[in-house]
Formats: sequence, structure tokens, C-alpha cells
Amino acid sequence: MNSIEEQLWNYIDGSCTLAEQQAISGLIAQDEAWRIKYNELLKLNEEFSTMDLDEPSMAFTYNVMETIRTENAMKPLKATINKRIIWGIAAFFIVTIAALVIFALSTINWSVPAGNTSFDLNIKMPEQLDSNHVKSFFSGGVVKGFLFFDLVMGLFLLDAYLRRKQSAKQH
Amino acid sequence: MQSKLSDIELIEQTLAGNQQAYADLVKRHQRFVFTLAMRFTKGREDAEEVAQDCFIKAYRNLGSFQQQSKFSTWLYSIVYTTAMTFLRKKRVDTSSIDDDESYIQIENKPSAYDTHNIENKSRSYYLNQAIEQLLPDDATIITMFYKGEQSLEEIAQALNMEANTVKVKLFRARQRLKEKLERNLKHEVKELI
Repeated sequence: MNSIEEQLWNYIDGSCTLAEQQAISGLIAQDEAWRIKYNELLKLNEEFSTMDLDEPSMAFTYNVMETIRTENAMKPLKATINKRIIWGIAAFFIVTIAALVIFALSTINWSVPAGNTSFDLNIKMPEQLDSNHVKSFFSGGVVKGFLFFDLVMGLFLLDAYLRRKQSAKQH
Repeated sequence: MQSKLSDIELIEQTLAGNQQAYADLVKRHQRFVFTLAMRFTKGREDAEEVAQDCFIKAYRNLGSFQQQSKFSTWLYSIVYTTAMTFLRKKRVDTSSIDDDESYIQIENKPSAYDTHNIENKSRSYYLNQAIEQLLPDDATIITMFYKGEQSLEEIAQALNMEANTVKVKLFRARQRLKEKLERNLKHEVKELI
């Protein structure tokens, strides 16, 4: 059970339930001790509200603005992403998928020989996309070059990440 | 007029590259942020450093402000963490709010007020003096509640605590402030007699 003082503070702050509020109002009206304590706390509450705020130096705002003058505020991610980039990526995928679908449909042999009940889907790949032809692109040299590029990119990204982390620590 | 803009509007302008909007935001909140910093550091010079640091941090992270709470609540959470880090660095004793025996003892700063009689001293002077003698946590909660226009829930959010914990801490802080206030006033009366 809360003390009288605690209950009265809750009543003054309005942080008690409606039932508690009604009960405390009744006690204040009927009980002398409660009324005296309530008036005392009410006076104290008013006094606490009169506390002064300290004033910083005249150059305070100037000093803050001088420090951040050359910086840009961090923009939210949703604002920094240009919508045209998103639409560009979407357009690229739509065009690619559409091209593939058109290509696939155009190479299908739609004619069904007479007497054949089953539908035989016959898609002929162009010679440039022949599996042996494609494999030739992934020769040892190309794979090594690709891995080397990955390694350089990985180191570059790691360096950028560590720099960011260090800079965040300093701030 | 610029001064009529809300915090959110000023933030949007700042994010769009208008630094003057941020200057207006600083001017609007600087007194309260500085006061909160004073509650921790107990010295103007350190408080100014902490308060400036808060505004710089807030500017750098303005984009991460989700606008789910008031800007002031978000800003005060920065003040709290910055001030705590400052205290840790300074190795100032910031023992628990529940530890009654570990009040920070601060010297009464000499001021023009000391030469005056009790009649000339306002109640608000004694109130501010009593607040200075409180633990940083107590003083911060009291200040945020009475001067920061923050609800118990918002204070809890800024201080990363449960609302109920803040409620209990506020109650205890008020009791301690009342005791300090009475003690200081009695002391002054005795000196005059």
C-alpha cells in the first residue's frame, strides 16, 4: 500500500486510476490529515514549477553552428535513395524478363505432328548460347580475374567499414 | 515566421540543407539542454561542453530521428547518455539514486546572493540551490517533469527506464528536494538569528 504522500502525488499528477482519484477526493474532503497534506504538496508542486532554467553563454548557438557548418545532417535512408534509381532497376528487370519470355515463345515449335497426342515442346537454343560455348567464358583466367576483383572489392569495403566505425567512435 | 515553425518542420528544413533552421532549433532548446547538463556536471564550463556535444550529435543523427516521439524527448535521451558518458570519463561518483548516504556534496558557490539577507532571497533561489544539491538522476527527473514538458512515459523513454520506475524515482526525488529545501531555509534562518 502506498503512503498518503505517494497517493497524493499520484492524485496531483493525475497518474492514478479513476477509482483511486474518487477515493482520494473523498479522503481530502473528509479527513483533516489528508487535507493538510494535500495542501502542503500542492504548494510544493507549485513551487517546484517555478524553478529557473540556466542560460548558456551568448556564443552557444554560434559555437554549435560553427562546428557543424561544414557538415551535412545525416539524411534518412528513404530520402537519400533516388526514386529514379529504383524505377531504373525495375525497368531493367522488366525489360530483361520480357525479352526472355518473347525469345522463349518465339523459339517454341508450336506445330503438333498428326497422330501425336502428346505435346512435344521443342525449344532450340541459339548457337551462341550453346553449353560448350558458354563454358568457354569460364576458363581458368576469367575465373581467377573474377576472384581477384572480388578480393579487391572485399578489402575496399572492409576498409570503408573500419573507417566508419573509427569515425563513429571518435564522435 | 520562422519562430512559429514546429520542431518537425525545422528538422525537415535542416535535412533539406537549411542550417539556419537548425540554429533556430538550437536556440529553442538550448536553455533546457544546458540546464540538464548542469544537473550532471555541476559546473557551467563542463555543462556548456556537454550541451554543445549533444546538439552536434543530434545534428549528425537527425536522419535517424523517427518522429515517433517528440524531438525534445529524443534530444533529452542524447543529453542523458552524453552526460552519463561525461561523468564516467570524469570519474565523478554517480552512485545509485536509492543510496541515501551518498549525496554529492557540493560547495555553495559564492554569489551576489550571499551578501543579501534572507528577506532579499527569493524562494526560487533556495529551490535552485536545493536542486543543485540533489543527485544528478533526481535533479534530471525533477527538471524534466517540471520544466521539460515531458510526461512520465516520455521521461522513461528518454532515460531508457520503465515508466513505473520513473514514477517511483520522481516521488523519491521530490521527497529529497523537499528535505533539502527545508534544511537550507532552516540553516539560513539560524544564521540570521
